[in-house]
Amino acid sequence: MPEKKSEKIASFEAQALPLMPQLYGAALRWTRNPSDAEDLVQETFAKAFVAWNKYEQGTNLKAWLFRIMTNTHINLYNKKAKDKAKTALDDLEDWQVGQGESVTSRSSRSAEIEAIENMPSVAIKNALDEIPDEFRMVVYYAVVEGLPYQEIADIMETPVGTVMSRLHRGKKLLKTLLQDYAKQEGYDTGKEVEA
Amino acid sequence: MKRVDCEEVKQGVHEYLHSELHEEELSIITAHLANCDSCEQHYDIEVILNQVIQRSCDEAPAAELADRVMERLRSIQEND
Repeated sequence: MPEKKSEKIASFEAQALPLMPQLYGAALRWTRNPSDAEDLVQETFAKAFVAWNKYEQGTNLKAWLFRIMTNTHINLYNKKAKDKAKTALDDLEDWQVGQGESVTSRSSRSAEIEAIENMPSVAIKNALDEIPDEFRMVVYYAVVEGLPYQEIADIMETPVGTVMSRLHRGKKLLKTLLQDYAKQEGYDTGKEVEA
Repeated sequence: MKRVDCEEVKQGVHEYLHSELHEEELSIITAHLANCDSCEQHYDIEVILNQVIQRSCDEAPAAELADRVMERLRSIQEND
């Protein structure tokens, strides 16, 4: 290898390490708890460091790291069994995925908006954690990281069409869970108005 | 300009919000939203949903994590 050892670690530290907050955010969504997320971040950086000479300078480093994280997570947790369940959900028709489309009347939509706005962050996170991994990650990459569909497709190693349908379904599932939560907690979603 | 119905507009909410539409589709939907309360509210809910997701996912790693990562990298390098 042409690059000296000390240069390798210095260039990795300068370029890759500053992306740790983003990697940690994604790792938290994959693992759903801080200590596993820390392990996943560490493993991801370790793998990325070993492969550092394969990273093409000037290309999207964050996407490259996210992709390593996807593979690392799948290897760490040997998710083959779970993958079957996920495929089953992918194969469902849209109408089988749940309401999503709000059942509240038009006039009560503002109440629904207000209810969602006032929900504590922990309730939102719990709902996110309840949807299948691959759906949650697509929602995360699109909504929190603001990544384009094509980039998410590369990171998750799926076609763009799958990214699109997982984003739609993921958000739909999330909305249904939050509506249930709102009802349970007695937030006024305006549904009573209709009843 | 091509016309769209509410069903199509609601279907396209994520592509609209994530800038995945062509300019023409974008302006058709924008025009529709300006004249349709039902679709506009549907979009508003998704916008709010995105905001609360962003808010809830805003968590920083512990400061020591960087040290631990660097330690790990150095040990990889030594064994290289």
